[in-house]
Amino acid sequence: MKAPRFGRRERPVVDPIGRPLNDPARELRDAEARGDASAVDVIADPEPTELERITGWLDERTGLAGLVRTTLRKVFPDHWSFLLGEIALFCFIILVATGTFLTFFFVPSASQTTYAGPYPPLQGATVSEAYNSVLRLSFDVKAGLLMRQVHHWTAVVFVAVIVAHLSRVFFTGAFRRPREINWLIGFGLLTFALAEGFTGYSLPDDLLSGTGARIAYSAAISIPLIGPYVASLLFGGEFPTAAFLPRFFVLHVMLLPALFAGAIVAHVGLVFLQKHTQFRVGRAREDNVVGRHFWPGQAFVSGGLFFLTAAVVALLGGLVQINPIWAYGPFDAPIVSSPAQPDWYVGWLDGSLRIFPPFEPVILGITIPSAFVPGVVIPGILFTIVGIWPFIERRVTGDRAPHNLLDWPWESPFRAATGAAILGLFAILTLAGGNDVLSAFLDLPIESLTWLFRFLVLAFPIAVWLVVYALCRSRQRYPAPDERPKGGIRLVRNATGGWEEAE
Amino acid sequence: MNRRERRAERLVLACFAVTFLTGLGLLGVYTLGGDTQVQGVLLALCLGGLGAGIVLWAQELMSNEERVEERHPLGTGPEGSAAVAEALTDEAGFSRRRVLQGGLVAALGGLAAALAIPVLSLGPAPGRSLFETPWKKGLHLVGFDNQPVKADAIPQDGVVTVFPEGFPGSADGQTLLIHAGADRLQLQGDAATWAPNGFVAYSKVCTHAGCPVGLYRAAQGQLICPCHQSTFDVMQGAVPVFGPAARPLPQLPIQLEADGTFTALGDFSEPVGPSFWDMRLGG
Amino acid sequence: MAGLAALGAALLATGVAWAVSPAAPDPQAATNAAAADQTVVDAGRGLFTANCAACHGPAGQGGSGGPSLVGAGAASADFYLRTGRMPLSAPGQRVVRQPAHFDDAEIQALVAYVASLGSGPAIPQVSSGGELHQGWQLFQANCAACHNATGAGNAIGGGYVAVGLGNADPTTIGEATIIGPGAMPAFAFDDQSLADIAAYIRFLQDAPTPGGAPIGQVGPVAEGFIGVAIGLPLLILVSLLAARRGKPEEQNP
Repeated sequence: MKAPRFGRRERPVVDPIGRPLNDPARELRDAEARGDASAVDVIADPEPTELERITGWLDERTGLAGLVRTTLRKVFPDHWSFLLGEIALFCFIILVATGTFLTFFFVPSASQTTYAGPYPPLQGATVSEAYNSVLRLSFDVKAGLLMRQVHHWTAVVFVAVIVAHLSRVFFTGAFRRPREINWLIGFGLLTFALAEGFTGYSLPDDLLSGTGARIAYSAAISIPLIGPYVASLLFGGEFPTAAFLPRFFVLHVMLLPALFAGAIVAHVGLVFLQKHTQFRVGRAREDNVVGRHFWPGQAFVSGGLFFLTAAVVALLGGLVQINPIWAYGPFDAPIVSSPAQPDWYVGWLDGSLRIFPPFEPVILGITIPSAFVPGVVIPGILFTIVGIWPFIERRVTGDRAPHNLLDWPWESPFRAATGAAILGLFAILTLAGGNDVLSAFLDLPIESLTWLFRFLVLAFPIAVWLVVYALCRSRQRYPAPDERPKGGIRLVRNATGGWEEAE
Repeated sequence: MNRRERRAERLVLACFAVTFLTGLGLLGVYTLGGDTQVQGVLLALCLGGLGAGIVLWAQELMSNEERVEERHPLGTGPEGSAAVAEALTDEAGFSRRRVLQGGLVAALGGLAAALAIPVLSLGPAPGRSLFETPWKKGLHLVGFDNQPVKADAIPQDGVVTVFPEGFPGSADGQTLLIHAGADRLQLQGDAATWAPNGFVAYSKVCTHAGCPVGLYRAAQGQLICPCHQSTFDVMQGAVPVFGPAARPLPQLPIQLEADGTFTALGDFSEPVGPSFWDMRLGG
Repeated sequence: MAGLAALGAALLATGVAWAVSPAAPDPQAATNAAAADQTVVDAGRGLFTANCAACHGPAGQGGSGGPSLVGAGAASADFYLRTGRMPLSAPGQRVVRQPAHFDDAEIQALVAYVASLGSGPAIPQVSSGGELHQGWQLFQANCAACHNATGAGNAIGGGYVAVGLGNADPTTIGEATIIGPGAMPAFAFDDQSLADIAAYIRFLQDAPTPGGAPIGQVGPVAEGFIGVAIGLPLLILVSLLAARRGKPEEQNP
């Protein structure tokens, strides 16, 4: 049997538009002139390599050779910030992989059982099957705790990377025409990620997760007219119910990942169709893409980046304890531990609930519950603003032209200032969500901190807006270093011993 | 191959060697018992070596020639959209049948109503459940163990979580029984008569977002919810004095029995837990 | 000074008694016993006048700066003195845990004196025979709401902090539940329950953290901080490294 030849052939076969690059007729003439019989054979009827046989087999059945070649030769602009979206995708893959492992051990059931594992204080405790199975996964399954912690840490950094990617897209104006749809899809991905995180946080059925589910139920019930129905349909009755765990499980492992995966395909597919944006450097213009071929350069960098991302979350998962549910104990409605926080990416919502003043008007007998405005209305408004930002900006600036070249953040002071102010608002709300922990840490009364946050939530975004706007304007007045003439002046010695400027 | 390339190749090989060795090491550690920290570090090195090797390979040993690709406008112009519009509407059997189009939309509305059926099965209509708890007249106040709580088991400034007899652990029946002291309580009207010998009972479910109001700062006579720091003044009928809650914790009418136990005089005077829109309309 | 010398002698005698006694009683029993000894009470009165009377009044009846200690009992005095919460250097200062200001003999004397002012709770004897699971149940139901299920403590509003229980010994735990110091409510646990709770808190103090660094045991706030302040920068660093150009750029032919 002949050894397969995967090596690259001497000559490329076709150019990008499919014309033969070489001239077999001429080469055949040359070989005949030399009297090289074997070369004549090869040139007259070139034997395909093993790789060509495989690609040929696939192409006959799909007709995709042209598309695959275009893809391999696709040009990717290389800037580190363009890799943030890839890292988010890698986090999703790691979440699916580790999460699949977890589902093999997790029991999504609220039915009660008696704990008989190795953690001494809980021996004999009545716990749910769900909680019991996560303890078993943590203590009895080898490497189970590592997988669980890697999963949780990946979820924590996943949302952070999504926010960083979203910020890059926002501050460089990458969402402008023709990419508004992809902004909306990306925004959908963010909300799916938050929903994934929240449902996942609720699954172990420990004291914290039950408290979180309780607050979600209360936010749902607070909606005027439909709240009690929405909450009952979502949770299967009045909280706490046995139904919500299996429901959240299905949402967490089936519906939301499916939505997320579908949206990722659309997100990446649109980038493929529209080609990546690029910064205004070097030879980059509106009507070209400057960068590296997908294969092998970019593909290797991305592949390596996947493993490096996995290494970072493996390190966190191995060295830093996260969500020690054995220490919190199982969920029990009358029991609570303090502090009680959601994972950080829901912290802003908790912060909104914490610092909003007591407000519960009764209008025509209809009560507007105190959790409604901070728990439903404010998040709704904030997320709507972020979601439809491309259309808001188009309305404000009147800029309807297509853009493939990115702005530097300071080139659009209004956008930069507004984006920074929104991030600042979320940051204040997130900090407010930890006001009790900060209170203990800073040795300040919770009440003072709460009042400080009530002030900052209004003042800080305004201050950030003004400062960023002013900074951008002043930055615009001075050219960036790379916009100045390169290299300055070069002096050379002239014949008389003096100096003069070189060309 | 120049010196730089030879060095890069050695580096990439070293990275791959790290992956190979730590991978085997991981298997060894796992077999020997599997410490989470050691496994985490080895796994990180295993993955990191592979990632670093692949990235260095691309950076140091592959072409980084800058390529330029033309970008063509995406749209096909007015002709294209006109062609799509025409393709959508050129079948007169569809586009001219306005009545049928309307009928189709109406039919889809009916289908949506039909699809609501499985959705509505997801949970019972709330009905009276949000207005009621298991508390009834004559039920003893019991602890987690369903045993009646006795007055002498709660010292001055003490607090204990109680439930309706037969419902230990009840989520909406959970109640705090506080020995506030008759001299410190400043309750008015009925509320005062529901606080025998300085013992007062309030719902433990926060009126803001439903968390158990578990923190009792005895010195100030204030209950605090750990979730959002709503603070209630126990002495003044559990009115909110700080934080986002706007409604007092409902008080449970109780009486002290001759044997030192407590019984309820009825259910709470108003719905417990987070407010909802029709709570003042009586459902 | 003579009083102190007498006290020292008394304590020495007690120490000898411990050494020879087959079942050595713990120091709290000694303190309770010392409360009955008039010479010890007199020594305590001297210390009280010098260190405490400015706020609590010359006879412990209370004053402008501090509450009456009549009926406070040995448990209260022992708790505040042994945990260094008292004395304050000025009235109105924050009452926080510190190294004890007095040595053991002085504390015993002061405790004896305060106990002599009126009937109050004695120092509880917390046995070491606590049952872990019972302790866990009691802790979750009564303590976790303020002190955190992990025992790490938390702020509870009004400038108060429910202390972390990392160095709470069984006697201190027992005293705190009886007297309800600061903002804490009082509890009337029976002896067995107290021993159970103390056993569980002891367990928490040396509880293993199999997942790695416990980052303060305060839950998602610390976890989020690590994720955003360490995880995200690490990933950005990784993307910077991945995006770097390794070798000098080749020129386009």
